[in-house]
Amino acid sequence: MREVWWISLIKAAVIVNLIMVAFAYTTWLERKLLGRMQNRYGPNRAGPFGLLQPFADLIKLVRKESFFPSAAHESLYIAAPIASMFTALAAFAVIPFGAGWKIWHYHVDGEIANVSIALILIFALGSIGVYGAIVGGWASQSKFALLGSMRTCAQLVSYEVSLALSVLGVVLMGQSLNLVDIVNKQGATIWFFIPQFAGLLVFLFAMIAETSRPPFDLPEADTELVAGYHTEYGGMRWGLFQTAEYINLITLSALAVTLFFGGWHGPYAPLGPVWFLLKVFVFVSAFIWIRASVPRLRYDQLMRFGWKVLLPVATINAVITALLVVWVS
Amino acid sequence: MIVATVGNVLVWAVWIVAAFACLGSGVAVVSFSNPFYSALALIGNLGSLAVLYLLLSSEFVAAAQVLVYAGAVMVMFLFVIAYIGPRTESPWAGGPSWQAVGAVLAASALLVEIIVVIGLKAGGRLAHSHHIGGSFGSPSYVGRLFLSDHLLAFEITSIVLLVAAIGGVILGAHSRRATDEVPPL
Repeated sequence: MREVWWISLIKAAVIVNLIMVAFAYTTWLERKLLGRMQNRYGPNRAGPFGLLQPFADLIKLVRKESFFPSAAHESLYIAAPIASMFTALAAFAVIPFGAGWKIWHYHVDGEIANVSIALILIFALGSIGVYGAIVGGWASQSKFALLGSMRTCAQLVSYEVSLALSVLGVVLMGQSLNLVDIVNKQGATIWFFIPQFAGLLVFLFAMIAETSRPPFDLPEADTELVAGYHTEYGGMRWGLFQTAEYINLITLSALAVTLFFGGWHGPYAPLGPVWFLLKVFVFVSAFIWIRASVPRLRYDQLMRFGWKVLLPVATINAVITALLVVWVS
Repeated sequence: MIVATVGNVLVWAVWIVAAFACLGSGVAVVSFSNPFYSALALIGNLGSLAVLYLLLSSEFVAAAQVLVYAGAVMVMFLFVIAYIGPRTESPWAGGPSWQAVGAVLAASALLVEIIVVIGLKAGGRLAHSHHIGGSFGSPSYVGRLFLSDHLLAFEITSIVLLVAAIGGVILGAHSRRATDEVPPL
């Protein structure tokens, strides 16, 4: 049964806003958790427990002067953060968060768009998102920004390969690129993190590198590059880059949950989205924890790890999975 | 009925926008003086081609086009251009004469092709095929074609790519050895 088009539209609007709220409170959670892990309080002035802090930040960023360097290529400089933000938000469209419901006499799907190439679509949008960083860094016409964007570009391209290869095992087992099919298959058989444990590990490492989070935050290593590709950005334009980064973190966490941890399936009650949100929350918190615990890698270590460890492991995992799938069937 | 009409109008609108974006960005690639802008225009061109693929219900090819060409390959172009720095030159200023001859030949071949297609269509010989099934363009359909009808081409392509990768490794190793031999200052 197909969904009516206006339900899809309403759902898309709701989900986009929910993701923005999720982003806002991910920053709050990150600052709170990091604070507690470093023996301080974190934000605690705006509202109870500092809960209004994200909105205070937003108002501050929006009201800042929107300058740009006099040498900058104006149109590209403005377009880059928009491109980053667009690809980050669009990728969530294909992630399923529920089994679908019948509300009144309309059918509502558990995702915005159910497409047969969902997984490739997410990776395609991710590969377009790289342009936000590289174009932004180049259009600023500043050395630090350019060096930062070169690093970002090299890192993201390197780890994209491992990321794509690491999910190949899941695709082979689920026998589909459609995320809904993959989740259904996991519900019917076994969550794929058990048979695909090597794939999961590679996915998690590559995912931290793709979202440039510590310990793989070399694109923005402040001590070396000031702030990387967004050195020359300020106000809400910088805010857009930052938003895109956090939304990518949420999306990739959701993708990990979908591919390896059974998506919306849960052990006891069929609560759908609640299980999904809970799992994503665990993932995001774990990444914040990693940020607090592990120091940044050196650049050559990062590259060696990506090409000489993750890529071979992901490839071997894919080959073995392919052999086993053929052998079992 | 009304939904079908709206759908048709939508398909036409998307087709017109994508086709003209394709042509416009193609012209932009050769007319920008800054190579960085040319590369960005090429990304736009590949992207609008992907939209045209989508309209032909080949969603897998469209996504692969964006992922491989607009994503991975063009990032390398931009990377190199950004590294080398702005070296602008006028795009319409001369160049070797064989390039001009080649361009004219390619353009006239395309023109002949377009005229032939329009002629076939006018003669009613380019009839719609109704053999396209629901799975057309899906990953499994494309994959089955790769491993059956087009196996040879598929395998030859993989060998060519492998050779290119080995060549890249050898070139890289060679240049590294050359720099190693420089005595420390």
